[in-house]
Amino acid sequence: MAAATVLNGNAPSADWPGRYHHVDQILDKPGPRTDPSFLAGPGVKEFLRDQCKILVIGAGGLGCEILANLALSGFKDIHVIDMDTIDISNLNRQFLFRPKDVGKPKAIVAAEFIMSRVPGVTVTPYYGKIQDKDDDYYMQFNLVICGLDSVEARRWINATLVNLVDPENPESLKPLIDGGTEGFKGQARVILPTITSCYECSLDMLNKPTAFPICTIANTPRLPEHCIEWASVLEWPRVQGDKKLDTDNPEHIQWLYQVASARAKEFKIEGVTWSLTQGVVKNIIPAIASTNAIIAASCCNEAFKIATSSSAYLNNYFMLIGTDGVYSFTFEHQKRDDCPVCGGESLDITISREWTVDRLIEMLVERQDIQVKKPSLSSGGKQIYFQAPPQLEEATRPNLEKKVLELVEDGGDITVTATTLPFNLTLRVKYT
Amino acid sequence: MSTTGESQNIEQATSAITDAPDNKTRRYDRQLRLWAASGQSALESSRTLVLSSSATATSILKNLVLPGIGHFTLLDPAITTTADAGNNFFINAQESIGKPRAAEALPLLRELNDSVDGEAVLKDVKELLGTEDGRETIRSFSLIIAHNLNKDVLDELAELLWADLTNPPLIVVRSAGFLADFFIQFHEHCVSQPHTDGTPSLRITRPFPELLRWARELDFDSVDPTTHAHIPFVVILVRAVDDWRAKHDDKLPSTSAEKNEFKAQLRAMKHKPDEENFDEAEAQAWRVWSEPTVPGEITSLFTLPPLSASGPTPNQSFHALLRTLNAFVGSPGGPGCLPLSAALPDMRTDTESYVKLQNLYRDRSLHEKEHFKGILSEIFPDIAAEVNEDELDAFLKNAHQLRLLRGRRWGEWAKDKSAIAEALQIFPRDAGTHVALTALSTLLSQAPDGSAVTADALRAEVQTLVGEGVELPEEVDTAIGELARAPTAELPNTAAFLGGMVAQEAIKMITKQYVPVNGYCVVDLIDSTTGIVGTP
Ligand SMILES: [Zn+2]
Repeated sequence: MAAATVLNGNAPSADWPGRYHHVDQILDKPGPRTDPSFLAGPGVKEFLRDQCKILVIGAGGLGCEILANLALSGFKDIHVIDMDTIDISNLNRQFLFRPKDVGKPKAIVAAEFIMSRVPGVTVTPYYGKIQDKDDDYYMQFNLVICGLDSVEARRWINATLVNLVDPENPESLKPLIDGGTEGFKGQARVILPTITSCYECSLDMLNKPTAFPICTIANTPRLPEHCIEWASVLEWPRVQGDKKLDTDNPEHIQWLYQVASARAKEFKIEGVTWSLTQGVVKNIIPAIASTNAIIAASCCNEAFKIATSSSAYLNNYFMLIGTDGVYSFTFEHQKRDDCPVCGGESLDITISREWTVDRLIEMLVERQDIQVKKPSLSSGGKQIYFQAPPQLEEATRPNLEKKVLELVEDGGDITVTATTLPFNLTLRVKYT
Repeated sequence: MSTTGESQNIEQATSAITDAPDNKTRRYDRQLRLWAASGQSALESSRTLVLSSSATATSILKNLVLPGIGHFTLLDPAITTTADAGNNFFINAQESIGKPRAAEALPLLRELNDSVDGEAVLKDVKELLGTEDGRETIRSFSLIIAHNLNKDVLDELAELLWADLTNPPLIVVRSAGFLADFFIQFHEHCVSQPHTDGTPSLRITRPFPELLRWARELDFDSVDPTTHAHIPFVVILVRAVDDWRAKHDDKLPSTSAEKNEFKAQLRAMKHKPDEENFDEAEAQAWRVWSEPTVPGEITSLFTLPPLSASGPTPNQSFHALLRTLNAFVGSPGGPGCLPLSAALPDMRTDTESYVKLQNLYRDRSLHEKEHFKGILSEIFPDIAAEVNEDELDAFLKNAHQLRLLRGRRWGEWAKDKSAIAEALQIFPRDAGTHVALTALSTLLSQAPDGSAVTADALRAEVQTLVGEGVELPEEVDTAIGELARAPTAELPNTAAFLGGMVAQEAIKMITKQYVPVNGYCVVDLIDSTTGIVGTP
């Protein structure tokens, strides 16, 4: 790509006279709502264009927009991480990709596109997982913007940035700007780790995913979705054995669709289609260019204001609903004192003296403010129940039937760990 | 189970290719889940005219080209400046400087989607407004979008488009620095698929004969325990209402004491405490006292006076369907309420009962649709002949949540000084930003480079707008301060934000799905807020 040769972020030649005519009107003087600490003029421009280093997580629907906005705003040292490759269904909104790019890594294609369109900007892509990178990597950035569709990845980066904060070193506090969309709805927020409410603090605001009880799926299907779940959850493992279901594989979807259709026919249920099958098994969230544009612009606008101090920034949550007119709500989401990431030492729970370990696990899995899938429990260095490895699982399995009270005294602590949980959660147990 | 791996494989081999979606469906999958094929086809047959190829204008277009509008025309005589090359993603940086801006933007927009047709016309809209041919060209589009258009030209354009009820809508977008507003000028906009999640009536209190028969004939006390625990809540409620009416002079529970008594009656019907279908019936008991024959919002549409007493009016088929709906509600052979929706929510019951219930609802809904069609052909034979089945189905399915918006002419609100003064009291930030932007556009029409813009000049303009002697809230000064700071700044993030917002509203206007903004949507990207003022 030709862009690789003009790829010097500090090349002053790229800045033709008048390039920043628009942005400079903001950077050359303060406005009524600008903090007095703002130093208008060359200093702030130099920081923005020559020093500021920003990380973009996700090069998908939001990521493509974020990269373009940051580049035009004057950020010149941009890094982007994404583990995905381009799919044809991305092309209705991920505007840096073309049909010829299908199958290629998003981060790399997006970075090349931005560098070829906006001269003098360096975009450094990483095609992989955010979990591959360590604290030193994250420490190099001034700001982080997230445009992700995964709760798990967001929790990870949130916990990582909160843990990065060293009170002795102001540079260790990395503002995290997070955006998310679903159909005509979306939100953007600014998280100052340890200072404002964090992602984990607001976990209970997420919609609970629709889960169909297994007995409905197995015995009393009523909706086409029940038939599809039957095909993917029960029939696939039964018929296909150890073969892993790949929801990106059209043949696998085809198989599920056929099996679900046959079941629907048997029960006289209407409405199983290919599209619904794919939607249910992939948990597809509708996504359009316009909503992504709004939310990405909001995120980048906050990044620009924070990086330059040119205006007050969002404190701290912007929520948009665009289905019935334009409705938005801007508010300060409150920090949770018992937030397991940025709050106190432990989460207080009160349970019955009769509860078994199994019942406790069930409660943890159900709780919307914890959202853990397969938790392992220990207390005071003693294992209570471990999900893996298999030997340990087997050894601790008998504890599932025991009462929690037999294993943990009143006021005692239980440590919860899980692969989906990017931190250790401490529960302080009280009995009723 | 009747399905085995082998039989699946045979079936799969014979029908594999026909079921999988084609490339176009795959490309648009994530949006088809929002507006379906009907919305997509409306987009594909739309033609949008965009005045200016500024960063904001190209951002808006990007978000219309990606989902696949039919055609766009960029109308813009401007030559690319060094500033355009810096803030517009659809300009080839330095290479484009000195070349016509619309022509530079065109290929970069078109490459976003091969199926979209586009052209660049390097003319000033003033030129088109000056000839009948030009005016006809403007009127021939489905939608016109103008960004930061000169105030006087904009007024002329808005007047042209307002002159006829069937002219296309106009979206006016204004922005400077972190502040912006936009407005859609339209006479009338009908939304038959608003997607507002309203719940259609299940006819609990006016059950159709088959449903009532089921509820009455079912012997609740002698069925086996499994069946009892799977009676659908709809059947339970219909029965409970029937029993209640028999004991209460044919009246429904209305006072809060009666409602509690009704719920107690439901609980008493349980055989075992853990019967979840009865819990569900209790949780859904609100339907018994909240099932109007016709929701008030829909009744008000029945009595809406026509836009014009004489001459052609837009949305004729929608109006014909509305009047038919009114006649349907009052018709002797009808249910005395809105047509039944076939959509049944999921409930705690067994497959057989659910499917049976679903079939009852579907059959009844088809029956009522036929009744509706009969009335339609009687009173509007022409419309009955041309309205298609999908359109009719969508209308009937959404009969409980139909929306009809009556809009306003651009600039009409600005003349109503008392309304603006009132808005400044109630919504000081949004109304303040709106009037400050209006003041700015006046000053920019005198000197487009912004040299006439000062805080004092803006304040004087605002005072003229709202009337001398009206006290201005401090939010007006805040907005003025921002505009004086950056009167001609088109910030990339503001442009991108508006690009999303305006495209979203354009999509709603074109597809007639979801509900567009009616009034001025005011954006403040310092406080990160949006607000609506000047709603008719
Ligand atoms: Zn927190």
